[in-house]
Amino acid sequence: MAKNTSSNAFRKIDVDQYNEDNFREDDGVESAAAGPDESEITTLLTQGKSVEALLSALQNAPLRCKNQNVKDHALNITLRVLLSIKSTQMDQAIDTLDQNDLIDVLMKYIYRGFEIPSEGSSGHLLQWHEKAFAKGGVGCIVRVLSDTNRA
Amino acid sequence: MAATLKPYLTAVRHSLTAAMCLQDFPSQVVERHNKPEVEICSSKELVLTPVVVSRNEREKVLIEPSINSVRVSIAVKQADEIERILCHKFTRFMMRRAESFVILRRKPIEGYDISFLITNFHTEQMYKHKLVDFVISFMEEIDKEISEMKLAVNARARTCAEEFLKRF
Repeated sequence: MAKNTSSNAFRKIDVDQYNEDNFREDDGVESAAAGPDESEITTLLTQGKSVEALLSALQNAPLRCKNQNVKDHALNITLRVLLSIKSTQMDQAIDTLDQNDLIDVLMKYIYRGFEIPSEGSSGHLLQWHEKAFAKGGVGCIVRVLSDTNRA
Repeated sequence: MAATLKPYLTAVRHSLTAAMCLQDFPSQVVERHNKPEVEICSSKELVLTPVVVSRNEREKVLIEPSINSVRVSIAVKQADEIERILCHKFTRFMMRRAESFVILRRKPIEGYDISFLITNFHTEQMYKHKLVDFVISFMEEIDKEISEMKLAVNARARTCAEEFLKRF
């Protein structure tokens, strides 16, 4: 016979955690991507090849990496490259990225850049957003929202 | 400053259009319940990546999409004390009457001034593009409204002070 107790702690037990069909994040192989090479990008930037620098930063983006520090470091480098490119060069840069299917990655970094606004960065990123949207359309924003490999 | 307003609103508009792809989704836990997943976060796979669109440090929009609901939070520009008070009063006035605004959330998300919660039922009853338009025009209006009120308050204070000091 059930015993009458004053305890109601049992009501707080989360019984659903034992369900078999619960969603589990697939812990795939930890990729050893160390992110973009900072020294290479700095040299490219000083030589004035900012489009190449952006290409290199986005190609080596540690999207599948689980380590937040690596991601933050990559974000800082990519933001520096993004902010160094002038609005007149943007179209050329986006055309290059489009050939390499990197618009989605660019969009991810634009949105991450919005999260840490600094003096004048948001205005520049808004221009980037406009140009990337003109090329990628709504689809590339949807892919930012739904992709689990976050920037 | 005005130069960044238009791109800001366009970016928000595009992000909202992308985020507002909602479908009916009954609760996986309780039968015959249907809750906005962005609020209860019952499972990680149902909540998508939240994104921020910012114009500067103070003005930003947070968009948190999920399978059956989107939460849009707006941080309004508050340059000084008076704007902060006006904004607080204004948003509180509206949030107390949240039922009549249908998509308004009763409490803002922390760090933001006002939040909207749009569920799949809203997108079924109303046109999606009109909902997006509403949020955008709301963002335009609230800035305008607050600066107008600030001017009115200052003008009134000046007249009051003049009348009062006439006696001396």
